[in-house]
Amino acid sequence: MKPRRIMIAAVGLSVSLLAAACSGSTTSTSTSADNGSGTNAREGSSTDKASHKQGGSLTIANTQGQTWTCQFNPFNPAVNPVSLGFVYEPLVYVNLLQDQKETPMLASSYQWSADKTSIVFTMRQNVKWNDGQPFTADDVAYTFDTMKRVPATDLYSLWTGAGLRSVTAAGDKVTMTFDQAAGPYFFNFANQVGIVPKHIFSTGPAAAHPDTWDDRAPVGTGPYKVDPCSANNIQYVANPNYWQPGKPYLAKIQYPAYLDNGPANLDLGSGKAQWGSQFIPNIKALYLNKSKDNHTWSPPVTNVAIVPNLDPSHAATSKLPVRQAISLALDRQKIALIGEGGQQPVANQTGIVVPTFQKYYDQAAVAAAGYDKPNPDKAKSLMAGLGYTEANPLKLSIITITGYTDWDASLAVVKQQLKPIGIDLTVSDLAQQTFDDRLYNGNFDLAYYGQAGGPTPYYELRQMLYSKNSAPIGKPASFNYERYLNKDVDALFDKYPTADDAGQVDIIKQVGAAMMRDVPVIPTTESVNWFQYNTADIGGWPTESDPYAQPAAFNVPDVEQVLLHVYSKSAQN
Amino acid sequence: MPYLLRRLGFFLLTLWAALTLNFFIPRFMPGSPLQALRDRTHNKLSPAALEQMLTSYGFKPNENVLVQYVDYLKNMVTGQWGISIGATLGEPVTRIVRQALPWTLGLVGVTTVLAFLLGSLIGTVAGWRRGGRLDSLLPPAFVVTSALPYFWVGLLLILVFSVWTGGALPSDFNYDSGMQPAFTPAFVFSVASHALLPAATILITSIGGWILTMRNNMITTLAEDYVRMGRAKGLSDRRIMTAYAARNAMLPNLAGFAMSLGFVIAGAILVEYVFNYPGLGYLLYNAVQNTDYPLMQALFMLFTVAVLVAVLVCDIAIAILDPRSRERDRSGR
Repeated sequence: MKPRRIMIAAVGLSVSLLAAACSGSTTSTSTSADNGSGTNAREGSSTDKASHKQGGSLTIANTQGQTWTCQFNPFNPAVNPVSLGFVYEPLVYVNLLQDQKETPMLASSYQWSADKTSIVFTMRQNVKWNDGQPFTADDVAYTFDTMKRVPATDLYSLWTGAGLRSVTAAGDKVTMTFDQAAGPYFFNFANQVGIVPKHIFSTGPAAAHPDTWDDRAPVGTGPYKVDPCSANNIQYVANPNYWQPGKPYLAKIQYPAYLDNGPANLDLGSGKAQWGSQFIPNIKALYLNKSKDNHTWSPPVTNVAIVPNLDPSHAATSKLPVRQAISLALDRQKIALIGEGGQQPVANQTGIVVPTFQKYYDQAAVAAAGYDKPNPDKAKSLMAGLGYTEANPLKLSIITITGYTDWDASLAVVKQQLKPIGIDLTVSDLAQQTFDDRLYNGNFDLAYYGQAGGPTPYYELRQMLYSKNSAPIGKPASFNYERYLNKDVDALFDKYPTADDAGQVDIIKQVGAAMMRDVPVIPTTESVNWFQYNTADIGGWPTESDPYAQPAAFNVPDVEQVLLHVYSKSAQN
Repeated sequence: MPYLLRRLGFFLLTLWAALTLNFFIPRFMPGSPLQALRDRTHNKLSPAALEQMLTSYGFKPNENVLVQYVDYLKNMVTGQWGISIGATLGEPVTRIVRQALPWTLGLVGVTTVLAFLLGSLIGTVAGWRRGGRLDSLLPPAFVVTSALPYFWVGLLLILVFSVWTGGALPSDFNYDSGMQPAFTPAFVFSVASHALLPAATILITSIGGWILTMRNNMITTLAEDYVRMGRAKGLSDRRIMTAYAARNAMLPNLAGFAMSLGFVIAGAILVEYVFNYPGLGYLLYNAVQNTDYPLMQALFMLFTVAVLVAVLVCDIAIAILDPRSRERDRSGR
């Protein structure tokens, strides 16, 4: 990682003042709404204003480990990475990498109520499904109603968790009402849900079983159509009637099924595939040095962490000094360098992923708490205070998942670093299912694990730390596996949805402070969005200086933004 | 006929036992279908939604085990094998199997037959000219190769013929993914070139057994009186070798061959895995990795049935070919 990263001012005035560190190619127009109540998202696109000629093709190399099923139902979580963004579109695109910058998609604008318990979307006019039928507000209402009618299609628990109460369509408007302030769920319902056509999904097997229906010939509004799909390859062809005239630029997208990273990495190295989305070990020799056109940029999005069991039944890990000692003893640079080949940046004890979420990160507070650099001496004295030394170590075991070789390598480094402070770590590799079972039910001393994230640190931190996500030992917890129960932190999370922008930043900083005070989770490295790209023929990629979308091909719906930007250089002549 | 009836009864009994084990073993494994679905949905679904999803995918976790068991037996027999809950979430198991089966039959089936024919031929010639140049060269060499592990030979072939040659022979997958399946020369060539290395791996590691047993059988048979009598009658060497010696020497091998045909369908899991060949073996590996219970059950069922059918066919063949098996029957033993 480069030490400095350029961020782009993409939000309203109040925010861009805070994000004063931004510099560089900020040619983008400030487009999206600030998060205050009662604002409209306005038309806009990112930096790539230039228009390109259509033509050319692109091949994606993203290992699946299996051949394609050629199902495209966006309600099926196993196949929606190949249908959302390609064929189906969301209402609004929210960019995690640009401080929630919004790009209106099927909804041309929206309006929150003052208390953020209801939202009115205005639908874009003249959008057609790729079978020629017009897109209407009814389709949107039907999509969300399906998720209510068949809970298994409600992949983000909108009707149960977010408190969605009703979705109604009238004219070109769709109104959604909620039981409580629903600001943080905007990312889910506006950005992650793909809108489906009512005229297809309200008949036959699609209506009877929208969760298991196969949807082999998907009808969407998106930039591409599937033509044809076989077990070994999905070919997408440009939708000639896409609502953004002149787009997409590339005529064809090839998405071959790769069963293994090896061949996928070979094809990436040789340039046969131009868009990579997986880990390439020794990336310099195997990829970057193979061609001057090969590039990589993998932005961090979430944490990988040591999860200690805080339940009093686990005597050692429920003691604060032990957790403090572990966090202080870790030389995270070394873990990232040896365990992850230097391809993941280091994490910090606040749990706030930097530089992605820099504005929530309080460097001064971290330094004041002594977590800005490893401090094995302090760790040693903390352990000595409990009566443990290198000669008389505390025995702890950490569970991890078999086959995650980079995690194994990282844990080997961790083990080495904990030894001198008086902790004897045993690493036990478990099969995924066994690991999950023990993690969920709290049957571990330490676990190595990473959570999913969201467009601000709130999402990951709330999952990890909110007491409602916990459960007694022996019962499955939903996300709070360490069993962290803190009323003050809960209150912070409860305040977040109704807080204004500055207030939200402040709340996250306070949660970061709690992370350093109580050490409920010990982040080690930051998970990244693996991304390799070849510029010989393809231009318009997201880059560090223009992070207009999360770059890995498995990100939905971000993949659509990339598809709408990339173009073939040879087709321009 | 009582012999055949008894074999048939035995077949049904083993089949039932295998199916029953196949029902209970996955239920003793760590994890559950619920947890598999939880993984698939990235842990974002509410518990109620997960329950509903489980029923959508054909599970009845709250049903009596006995009822589930009867349903399961019925479904296995009628070919309703359920819907995948692995990484191929939502795909009917029959469809997945149908897609993978031809590749395994093509690759492993053809090579098994080829290994048997080639092995028997080499074994016959080697046994006929015992101590000759062929006999002192081929059998020992192939005994060594047959002792090598599948995956190691596979990796070696990939290194030599794919990596060192700069990808002259493809080392993974069943055909070039840029192509559409069609009966064109280019596609057939692609399939053949992709099958070459895995086929060579199986051939190299399995042919040795056939050579060795065939050669040894030949040597025993050549000492028989009827061979001597053939010579005394002045028959040609070739005729004695093929019609008198080899024909009898092959009998014991036929049983083994029938058995190995039964194992074809299970694929050569390691070979398919090393070469990323999307056949049944690879499928099984994936199903276990992703705790895809319906797919796992269907595959194990298929594998057992294939072996049992092969054994049954072998029994029948022996009854026809070897009069002694029927004789014994009649004498009441």
